[in-house]
Amino acid sequence: MQSSERRSHLLGHERRAASRHASPSLLQSFVTQLRVIYALIMREIHTRYGRENIGFLWVIGEPILFCAGVAIVWTAMRPSHENGLKMTAMVVTGYVPLTLWRHAMGRAIKAYAVNSSLLFHRLVTPLDIIIARTTLEVVGTVLAGSLVLGGSIFLNYMDPPDDWGKVYLGLAFVIYFSYDTALIISALTERSELLEKAMSIAGYLSLPLTGAFTMTEWVPAHYRWILEWSPLANAIELIRDGEFGLKVVPHYSIPFLMASCTVLFIIGLFLTLRVREHIEIL
Amino acid sequence: MYQSVKCLDLSKSFHIGRSRKIVLDRINLEIKKGDKLGVLGRNGAGKSTLIKLIGGVELPTSGRIERGMTVSWPLAFGGAFQGSLSGHDNLRFICRVYDLDYNETLDYVQGFAELGRQFYDPVKTYSSGMQARLAFALSLAIEFECYLIDEVIMVGDARFTQRCQDELFGKRSDRSLIIVSHNMNFICETCNRCVILHNKKIEEYSSIEESIRVYEHL
Repeated sequence: MQSSERRSHLLGHERRAASRHASPSLLQSFVTQLRVIYALIMREIHTRYGRENIGFLWVIGEPILFCAGVAIVWTAMRPSHENGLKMTAMVVTGYVPLTLWRHAMGRAIKAYAVNSSLLFHRLVTPLDIIIARTTLEVVGTVLAGSLVLGGSIFLNYMDPPDDWGKVYLGLAFVIYFSYDTALIISALTERSELLEKAMSIAGYLSLPLTGAFTMTEWVPAHYRWILEWSPLANAIELIRDGEFGLKVVPHYSIPFLMASCTVLFIIGLFLTLRVREHIEIL
Repeated sequence: MYQSVKCLDLSKSFHIGRSRKIVLDRINLEIKKGDKLGVLGRNGAGKSTLIKLIGGVELPTSGRIERGMTVSWPLAFGGAFQGSLSGHDNLRFICRVYDLDYNETLDYVQGFAELGRQFYDPVKTYSSGMQARLAFALSLAIEFECYLIDEVIMVGDARFTQRCQDELFGKRSDRSLIIVSHNMNFICETCNRCVILHNKKIEEYSSIEESIRVYEHL
């Protein structure tokens, strides 16, 4: 309140002075960081989608083409039910989280080197850059996913979720895990070229571990531990528990999700706060 | 508070493949308020690296920089701007990051850079002179106490040079400047101090004329 009041009293020259960003209080730093992240998101929208045709609507358009495309193809080609569950519902509950995670990871690879011109401005930090990129990806995919979900329910290809709360909670964990992945991958690919090259292969190889196309219950009992140790598989199980209710036997643990995501977040934050010296300025 | 920018035992090396190339080796330099410092040196001597270190774009390998004044980003070709975005988009980004008034900044930048309708075209389509005008206009829209200028000032036309004279050396004569240039006349006219970067070290001479003489015999 006080700061906004002070701001309105800033006259032209004072407002333009770089010195008012020089030694900020904790609150000011926080406000600056939010402002920078907003600026980065707007800029990212303009660089990626330009101002022509539908412009920023591509933020939703891109993932919707992905999700809707896969949902339609699978619905058309595969039997309408798998283990008693509607095929479309399986695809939507699995593919939307998978897309969110994979896009967040894809955009994180070498995210700093390609944006090194941003680091000319000392108010912009690597953490701001990766948060902005991931947020744009998350918002786009969540909106796209909601539209695909709404469309599928409306067209009666899937039933509305049995328990919306579990769907939201599962989605929240998918988002949390996606931020973790983005923080870690962006920092590591900046340090090692080998890792950068290996990422696309690793992305494919990890597909079975995401649990996007199967339920843990359908896997032979002695292999289940693999999916039970995968945060993304846990989160997707939680979403499917919300969607199908008593029709499935879900394998997930909310304490495990909370713990694994938080540990990964701390590792990611640690790496990101130390990545600055590894970034090649072009 | 004592206003200056200090480089203390500043070193910078880059990794090229397996080997390490030392560019700057334990450099000490102080820029006081109002100083106009010219930086001379052969190609590859590390002038741009020094400017980027002072601007905080590159991080030193060892040593440190104490910034007792606000320092601009390095005004150079490439850097700082996103080529695929228009000048206008870049302006909006700067306004958001530095919390500037959009309309006021737009008026100022349009008036200073005179880019007309090309202001709304991608920066990569600009000529080098136009890029320099945009870079200057945007950095002068924020009141820094020390401006870092890497070559760009030399490419403008007469009218732009006059503008820069008025804005930078007239209205803002109390500010510090660090200028990298190969244009000796320009250094002579604008700087009150001059350093030469050579063999990873920095050397300051008592007068501009002397440093130019030394530089020409490198």
